[in-house]
Order: sequence, then structure tokens, then C-alpha cells
Amino acid sequence: MTQGYSRDQLGVTDAMIDAYGDIVFKLSNNHQIRRGDPVRMKDFAAIEAHRHELGMSDEQIAERVGLAPAQVTLIRNLEERRRFRTGHYHQLNKLGGGKRFRAERMTPLQDHFRYNEDALSLRAAFAFDPATVRGYVEDGYWKNDTLRGWLIRNAEETPDGRALAGAGGDLTWRELRERVGKLAAGFYKAGIRPGDVVAVQLPNTRDYVESFLALCWLGAVMTTLYMTFRESEFRTQLAHSNAKAVILPEIIGDFAAAETALRLSVELETLQRVIVAGTPPAGAIALASLYDVPPLPKELPAPTAADPFLLLYTSGTTSSPKGVPLNSHQMLTNARLGVVEHDIRPGDVVLSAAPYGHLFGLYSIEMAICAGASIDLLPIFSPPAFIKAVEEDRPTHLFAGPAHLAACNGMGLFDKADMSSLRVTVLSGSAVPPDLVRACAPKFTGGVITQLWGMTELQAGLYSRPGDDPEIAATSAGRNSPGTHVRIGDENGNELPRGEEGELQVRGPSVFAAYYNNPEATAAAFTADGYFRSGDLACMDANGNVTLSGRLKEVINRGGVKYSPQEVELLLEKHPAIAQCAIAPVPDERLGERACCYAVLKPQASVTLEELCAFLTEKGLAKHKLPERLELRETMPMTATRKIIKGQLKP
Amino acid sequence: MSQNAYDPETAKQEIFAYAKKRGALAVGVADLAAIERIAPPGHRPSDIMPRVKSVISVGVGGQTQGAWTVPAKALGYFGSTETRAYSCVYALAFFMESMYGAPSVYCPPDMDNEAGPRVPLQSLKLHAELAGIGARSLAGDILLHPEFGYMYFASVFTELELPPDEPMADNPCPAPSCTDMYRKIGQTPCMKFCPVQCLSGKIDAEGKQEEMHYDMAACAEMTQQYEAVPAMLARALEAEDATQRTDALFDPDNKMLWYKMSVGSGGLLAQCFECMRVCPIATRSPQADPIRRRNSK
Ligand code: SF4
Ligand code: SF4
Repeated sequence: MTQGYSRDQLGVTDAMIDAYGDIVFKLSNNHQIRRGDPVRMKDFAAIEAHRHELGMSDEQIAERVGLAPAQVTLIRNLEERRRFRTGHYHQLNKLGGGKRFRAERMTPLQDHFRYNEDALSLRAAFAFDPATVRGYVEDGYWKNDTLRGWLIRNAEETPDGRALAGAGGDLTWRELRERVGKLAAGFYKAGIRPGDVVAVQLPNTRDYVESFLALCWLGAVMTTLYMTFRESEFRTQLAHSNAKAVILPEIIGDFAAAETALRLSVELETLQRVIVAGTPPAGAIALASLYDVPPLPKELPAPTAADPFLLLYTSGTTSSPKGVPLNSHQMLTNARLGVVEHDIRPGDVVLSAAPYGHLFGLYSIEMAICAGASIDLLPIFSPPAFIKAVEEDRPTHLFAGPAHLAACNGMGLFDKADMSSLRVTVLSGSAVPPDLVRACAPKFTGGVITQLWGMTELQAGLYSRPGDDPEIAATSAGRNSPGTHVRIGDENGNELPRGEEGELQVRGPSVFAAYYNNPEATAAAFTADGYFRSGDLACMDANGNVTLSGRLKEVINRGGVKYSPQEVELLLEKHPAIAQCAIAPVPDERLGERACCYAVLKPQASVTLEELCAFLTEKGLAKHKLPERLELRETMPMTATRKIIKGQLKP
Repeated sequence: MSQNAYDPETAKQEIFAYAKKRGALAVGVADLAAIERIAPPGHRPSDIMPRVKSVISVGVGGQTQGAWTVPAKALGYFGSTETRAYSCVYALAFFMESMYGAPSVYCPPDMDNEAGPRVPLQSLKLHAELAGIGARSLAGDILLHPEFGYMYFASVFTELELPPDEPMADNPCPAPSCTDMYRKIGQTPCMKFCPVQCLSGKIDAEGKQEEMHYDMAACAEMTQQYEAVPAMLARALEAEDATQRTDALFDPDNKMLWYKMSVGSGGLLAQCFECMRVCPIATRSPQADPIRRRNSK
């Protein structure tokens, strides 16, 4: 309406608005030019001569253009609307209080950073239940922890403290912060933006730690590629995660890692950059070249605890990968509380024999940074390299898998080595044989060995504490981590009485919200009351210590009597003829399933089923758990993470 | 109502004294014939009051020194001191009727209903300029006064005939320091620091204004959020889905506009003040700076 008239009463059409809008706007007071000072001088002639520049009224414009005044009013108002940009005043909110507008420092709001579609879809995976979020915040679990924040704090509070130690390390917190800030800018220059997923396949080197922290600094999301991954695993994970870049060495053994990634970057639309630690082949970027670039743009959002931080992959199949998106709330709350429980203090030295590609290794980094302890670098585990690192770097904390200790112990290395610097050793990654802990404990004279149970979906869920009874630490994975609720449940999510075996189910501030783009797997992963089904079999003692006894899906159902084969496998591994073994079911017409033992023998060894059964019986194994078939193999089908793929074992 | 006998000069002095008592810093009588010539038809004093004989313009003070130092989003809230000018002229109109029996109105300060929100009913600025209490500056013609700096204006139209004043003999804008800056970088402070760069112009060899360019549409985008309300509603109507529609109406920026509409005031309804914040005349002229005034006593 204009002065009460509608458009058709005024005869104003879209064509008229298009045609006259510009001149009407120009003649109006929307743009004013004054030459000299004619009003103050009462120079009426000059005023008349320049009315069209000073700004005319609608009546005057109507007269000049040949329209009716009401038509001008309508056309002008619509033209003003057409040109009007909203939200302009936002930049004003940054001014004043001593800050003045400077054209060269302003980036128009529409040009400010925005998350791309892939990043937004990853952020959408954090669909937490509101009551849960409220609880974690109110109870003080979720704060605004970020690795960037912790790194800045360490660099400010202990600038000269040692941040990195060991092979290729030796950086202070100030130096590490500086290098990480520069590398983050380098990643930005290479096209990586906050929210982008970047894959990393590196050994436990300074490059790894700096790349990881620089991605955190930038607000990008790291997905880890295990060192054993090759082209097929690359393709699956890089495609599913929509990774924008990959950081890796030029070669890993005889695997042309960088060349493979470059080839995949042609195949996968999302993969745009291949960054190489070392000498890059043509088409790739040298990681070292990214430290010398202009700083990050100021208007980039600083990462927060709620931002996605890791996208890790757990078991799953090629057609249905299980990506676990994790944010800093989840991981760093778990790490912050773990620091106290694992007794990590400022100035301590934290060594991980576990690869940083595994969450267990990253957990050790997170805690070291949180505590202000040094991260001790052991690029690739070998028993001699490990012993050398312990003796030279004098770590106070060790995060390792049982296989690492077993290898050193098997070679008798602990008998000669000085392990006394280790105050706390945390074992995790696979079932920990109690005898291994009992054998090693006396040689770790300076401290204790503890166990930890964790999963990609929740980081550290259970662990024994340094003050626990050594036998508890040898035989169980300990108690719940702070804030984590664990229960032994049946398949319907009912809690079982203490001492009964069932599925270990978990909820808590570190538990993931959903698998990335895999609603079926997500639906199957939680009980109706929100507990994560770990798929691990376990029982809990009266004090809450949990002993793991195998994987639920590996349970053998022999005529309705169910048992986990893990106990049998652990016993068989002690048999002198057996190098590697796995128990898996074979279908049976009468009983439904019977247990078959698949074994790889040691060189020149031989064994029969009867001999194995006699050995197991002597060890006290119940009769119904004895294997009823033996299949000898040259090799076992293995996952990239060195686990036997039982599904592929067929007689 | 019959007019009382009065001496125009004496009445003028009485009127000025009363206005000052009510808070005016400066008062003047504008040359009605000049206003009628310069203002476009429909926007002349006689369009509102056919028997008008005089237009009295009053100016009240702008910001305190403290206000000029606060962040822009707070400064926006201090822009409403013009209400003091309106209350001053409201009282003045009553005073003149009761003292002299002359019908008087305070000039409606708002926009012309029929033309939309960028066209005022009357130009208070034109009245003040012709009454000699302000001169057009390079900052989009904002009036400045060498003594009082930057003021808010209001007018009284009356049937009382009063001798008009003359416009100011000199224009204080640009200040010498602004000319210096202009000679170096081609911009004065108001031009340089306007966040939408809607000001430009030229200063001649004698340091006087040669040209003033003011992109009022750009200034309005920055400062007049009522324009954003229909834009926001249009965006909500055009939204492709419920999320976009909800965002268009309820995001915090937009809810702020609803808030301002509902409370009827609160910043960014006229100008953003950045040009005035850096203007030496607006902020530092003797009577515009109470702290300086106090210290020089
Ligand atoms: S009020 Fe603000 S936008 Fe308008 S001219 Fe002054 S500085 Fe520029
Ligand atoms: S800053 Fe003030 S005095 Fe200087 S040119 Fe601008 S309006 Fe004029």
C-alpha cells in the first residue's frame, strides 16, 4: 500500500519498477551531493541548480521524471528495499571503546568462514540427549577443554618446560606452541578449514604430535590411518570420512604411501591434498614447507570443546564402516580426569609404545598435555628401541599393549634393563594375560603395572589405579573411569548380579553419540536406556573391578551351553607347539555349534587334538570347553590392527 | 486567541531565556521565507501551520565525554537525547501561547506517513541551519556548532512574528586538523572511520568544504534497523524450509529487532555515531566537553 493505494490502483508494474527504480533512487535523498555550502549562504540559485544532487522529494522527482508522486513513493520504497542489505551493523559491534573502523582490516561478513557441507554433516552426528548434556555440564564433567587451550596454557605457565622428548623431540612448550600455530596456518594455506577431516598415517614422531595439535588448533578433525593400512583400507576410510587431506610418509616399508594417496586423490572427489612428512612426490606438499606461511586469518572461529575433534574408525565392514566422531568434551574430560587417576604430574614423562593411530596412544598425548608432562617419542616399537627409550628418557608413565611387554619379556630384556623410572605402566589393547603382569611387575621396580579397558567409542572406560592390590591389577581391567557408569547387562539391557558374566555396557561423558552416517550400527550399539553395548563379555566383582572374558559375538553355543573361547585361547597360547591360535564355532547338526581350534604351529612342531585336550584338561579347563576339532594353518587371516579375523576361519 | 502586544526583540530574548532554562544550549529564529523556498512542497512549515510567522529552532547537547569512549553497541543506546529537545520545544510552545497569546506548535519530529521512513515531515536540520545554530558538515550534513559541537534539534512553529537570525557566518567543518588529514590521505576522520564508507568529499585550497557526498542508503543499512524488519519477514516467507524460516524470525539478531520494536527504543535507530565519535568539533568543542569546561573554570 502506498498512501492507501494498492499497486494496481497506482498502475505500477514490475516493469515500471525495474525501469524507473534506478533514477528515482538516484534523485532521492538516498544519495546526497552538496557542492559548497549553499543553504547556509542562502544561495537559492545554487540550491535550485543542484536539487537533483542534494536529494529531491517524491513530488519533485515525480515532476522531473514524469510520474505521479505516489508512484514515485512506491517505486522508491521498493527500490530501497531491493538494495537494502541487512545485518550490516554487525561490524559496528566490533567498534568503539578505542577500536576504529579500518577498511583494510574488515572482511565483509558474507566472506567470513562458514563450515562446508561435509563438516556440517559431521557436526550433526553429535545428537546428544539434552538431559545428558545438562547433567555433564552441571556435574562439571564437560568444561571448555581443548588441546589448543591446554597447549597455550602450558606455553604460558611453563614456557621452558619440556613438551617433547625422545627421538626427534626435545621441544619446550613455547617452541611446540609456536610450531603448532605455524603449522595450523600452513594447513589453512593448504586449503584445510575448520571442520575438515584430515587423515594421518604417521609413526609416533614429532611430525605426528605437531600435525595432530595443529589440526586441533585449526579446528579440523583428525582421522587416523593405522600404519598397517594399505590401499584398500585407505579407500574405504578416506571415502567414508570425506577426508580433505592426508598426511603420511613418502613410503612405509615397501608401501608407496604417498603415491597411493595421490592416486586416490584422483579417484576420490573429496580428497584434495596429500601432505608428506619427508620428500614429497610430484603433486604432494611437503609437511616441512607448511611452517613458513602467513598467520591464520583472525576471523576464523577458535575451536571449542563441543567441536568435532576426532573421527576414528573401529571394526566394521567395507560396505558399512563404523566411524566414531568424538569431540573435545568427550575425550578431554576423560583425559583430564584420567590424569589424576593415573597419577600424572607436571614434569612427568609419558611414553606410548602404542601407536598414536590408536586412541590409546592419543589418550596418552591428551593426558600429558593436560598435566604439563612431556610426551616421550618412540617412533616405532621394537624391543631394543623401547628399552633404549626407557633407559635414556626415563619415562614415568608407559602406555603399552601386553604384546609389547611380552616381546621384551620373552627376549629377557627386562632382566638387564633399568625400568625403575616407570611409576605407572598402563596396559591395554587386548586381553592382558595375568601371568605376564605377574612376571613383569617385579622388574618394574619403580612402580606398578595397571590395566585399562577402552574402546574407540569411549576412550578409557575402566582402569586399575596405581594404589590397587597388584593381583587386582593383574587379573582385571579395574574400575570405571570417573563419570563413567559401567554395568554387566543382558541383551535386553537388564543389569546382572555381581559375579555373573554378561555384556559390558557403558554410559558416561566420554561415550560417543552416534556412528558417522551409519544409523543401523548406531541403533544396534545402544540399549533402550542409553548404555553403549561394548560387545565385550565381562563380569564385575563386589568392588566394581571388571574382568573381560571375550567378545560376545565370539561366544560358542554348544547345545545351549554358552562360553567365551578367550579363556581357552589364552591357555592354548602357552602350549609349546602353538604359535598362534583361535577358537571358532563350526555348525553341528546335533548341538548347533561345536568349537574348532585353528592353529599355526611353531617351526618343526606338531600336535594332535588329543594332546591339546590333555594339555587343557591338565590346566583345569571344563570338559565342555574342550575343542572338538583341530585345523592347522600356515597363517591366520589378520586385520590391519593385527587381530585374527575369526569370520574368515572355515574348516 | 488574540495576541498580546509585545516587543519582538524583547519577546525573542524572553523566549531564548526560557528555552535555555529548559535545557537548550542554542536557540535561534529561522528565516521563514528562506525555509519555504528551500524545503520541497509538502515539507514546508506552512504545510503544517498555514498561518505560521516564525520558526524557532533549539539545540540540546549531544553525548557526554564518557559516552564517546564506550563500544559502539553501547553508544547506540545514548542516541535518544533528542527527546530532551522535544520536551524543551513542547514546553516552549505552551510558554509562547500563555505569554503572547500566539498559537504555537512544536514541530512534529517524525517521518512523513505518506512517504515512508526515509522522509521526514519537516527538516529540523534546515530550520536549525537557517536559525544560525549549526552548519552542515562533511559527515553527511550533520550540523555542527563551533561552541556546542554536535546537538539534537527541535523546532517551534508560531504565529508570533519574531525577527529572524542569520545562518552562521562560518562553517566550523572541516576543523584544521581534519584538513591536515585530508591533505595527507584524501579523507577526513569522519570519512575514514565510517564503517560503511558512505562519506566522501573534497576540501578546497582555502580549507573550506567543496563537495560533500553522502550515501544515505548505506548509512541507513548500518543504522536504521527498522528497514531490516520487513526484509526479515520477507526472508521468512521465502524460506525453503521450517529451519530457515525459524532462523529468519528467531535468530538472536532478529529477535533483537523485535525487542527494539516492542520497547520502542534502544540504539541504532538513527545513526551509528562513529563519524561523530572521531569528529573534533562534535567531541571537543568547548561547550561539548563538560570535562574541559570544568577544568578551564
Ligand atoms: S552515522 Fe555511521 S554510517 Fe552514517 S555516516 Fe556516520 S559513521 Fe557513517
Ligand atoms: S570530522 Fe567533523 S570537522 Fe572533521 S570533516 Fe568530519 S564532520 Fe567535519
